[in-house]
Amino acid sequence: MVKVDGYEVPEGLYYSKDFEWLKIEGDKVRVGITDYAQKQLREIVYAELPSPGTTTKQNEPYGTVESVKAVSDLVAPVSGTIEEVNTEVQSKPELLNEDPYGKGWLLVIKPSNLQAELANLMDFNKAVEWHKSLIQEGK
Amino acid sequence: MVTAMRRTQLFEIHSKTAKMTTFAGFEMPLWYKGIVSEHLAVRNNVGIFDVSHMGRVIITGKDAENFLNHVITNDVSTLTPNSALYSVMCNEKGGIIDDFVVSRLEEEKFLLVPNATNREKDYNWLVKNANGFGVKVEDISDKAAMFAVQGPKAEKTLQSICTTDLSKIERFKCASAKIADVDVFLSRTGYTGEDGFEVYVWNAPLEKPANAVKVWNSILEAGKAFGIEPCGLGARDTLRLEAGLCLYRNDIDEDTTPLEARLSFVVKFQKADFVGKGALLKQKSEGVKRRRVGLQMIEHGIPRPSFRIYDEKGENIGLVTSGTFSPLLKCGIAMAYVQIAQAVEGNIVNVEIRGKMVKAKIVPFPFYETEKYGYKRKTPI
Repeated sequence: MVKVDGYEVPEGLYYSKDFEWLKIEGDKVRVGITDYAQKQLREIVYAELPSPGTTTKQNEPYGTVESVKAVSDLVAPVSGTIEEVNTEVQSKPELLNEDPYGKGWLLVIKPSNLQAELANLMDFNKAVEWHKSLIQEGK
Repeated sequence: MVTAMRRTQLFEIHSKTAKMTTFAGFEMPLWYKGIVSEHLAVRNNVGIFDVSHMGRVIITGKDAENFLNHVITNDVSTLTPNSALYSVMCNEKGGIIDDFVVSRLEEEKFLLVPNATNREKDYNWLVKNANGFGVKVEDISDKAAMFAVQGPKAEKTLQSICTTDLSKIERFKCASAKIADVDVFLSRTGYTGEDGFEVYVWNAPLEKPANAVKVWNSILEAGKAFGIEPCGLGARDTLRLEAGLCLYRNDIDEDTTPLEARLSFVVKFQKADFVGKGALLKQKSEGVKRRRVGLQMIEHGIPRPSFRIYDEKGENIGLVTSGTFSPLLKCGIAMAYVQIAQAVEGNIVNVEIRGKMVKAKIVPFPFYETEKYGYKRKTPI
């Protein structure tokens, strides 16, 4: 686990510029939002997620998270079919703030074109650099 | 052309401790720790807000009372020195130019506090309408700072650093006092629904903010014993919404009249004349077509400004003007304008949230139980 100016960026994950992380688990992937995303949103009060069986398309919205101040789209880091949805974050959306890489996971997806689509995501090293530039812009 | 952002006397402090945002051309704190925790500090204990971005206009002269009664809808002749009232001022069509608190400082001296958005507009409107009246209208916004200390423990906080007996100041009454050796003016008013004070620091010009910083720090220090939190505009918005208080540009504007906005209590038709009286009288006799209501979501979802409202037949009957998640009620709440026939408390309506119809109920203001929260609360602190 690396901290870039207070934002956690775990190793071994892939990252999208829509602030989602992706973890490869055998022939499936688990996805969620990054620590940077949850800190920007602050106090998340609702998570609207699709049902299992729904398909996702890389770079397209599949749900929303809403904080007191604003609503944000959740954008799929890969294409595929949703196998599992974390229903716990729907009843306890604060999990997204408390544990974005753990209990705050959102979906398990069976990807349809993983190898090609991984090229559009950032690996750990690139994600660290990207976080640094985000923080620089924010200052 | 890029216009420079405006800042308050406390900008240096905010920029180091808060997440900043832009509001009405000002760089202001959005939150320090988070909207919900700051919101709850005000409902349960005490919070302090920098509201120096709002305007401060002094009206003096032998005609000050008559002039104000001509431009605003409420009646300042009812004010004794050191008391205040809430009012709107309207254009000839009855549209709201601004809403504000007016305090009578002396027999012939008043203080009017415009919204940040309307600082220049109000000043110009006041000057324009002062023609023929023996008054001086002076904008002292950049010479004085203003803080709001709000919550059930606001009095205790301020009393610990102030020799004036604050328990003697009733709601909408004011007094001059000293905090940290600095001259201040305390007004028992606010924009949160809670008990509390607005603190004016007279001698705190933008270019010499020392007095403002001194008073701010001294209140924060005194409030530690009572759980004080510095609060940003995020909590200011959720608090005023829960209390059912209008935000200019969202819930009221020049296309809205005080009768539609349910602010009739500040329109004194018995006054001989005031700007907008004719139009408002006409609307009163014809009846309003729409009315401001409170919406409490029954189903999950947060209504946001410009979301449409539908009746059960699918007919569009209104529009959301402000909406948020209520930290107290833990659900979405909103202010909206709804066709008069449907603007009935208890009525169930649909709010269109990103293409989905989500059920809400029309409820009275404030949204919280007045036995438990707000300045009328009965529960002991």
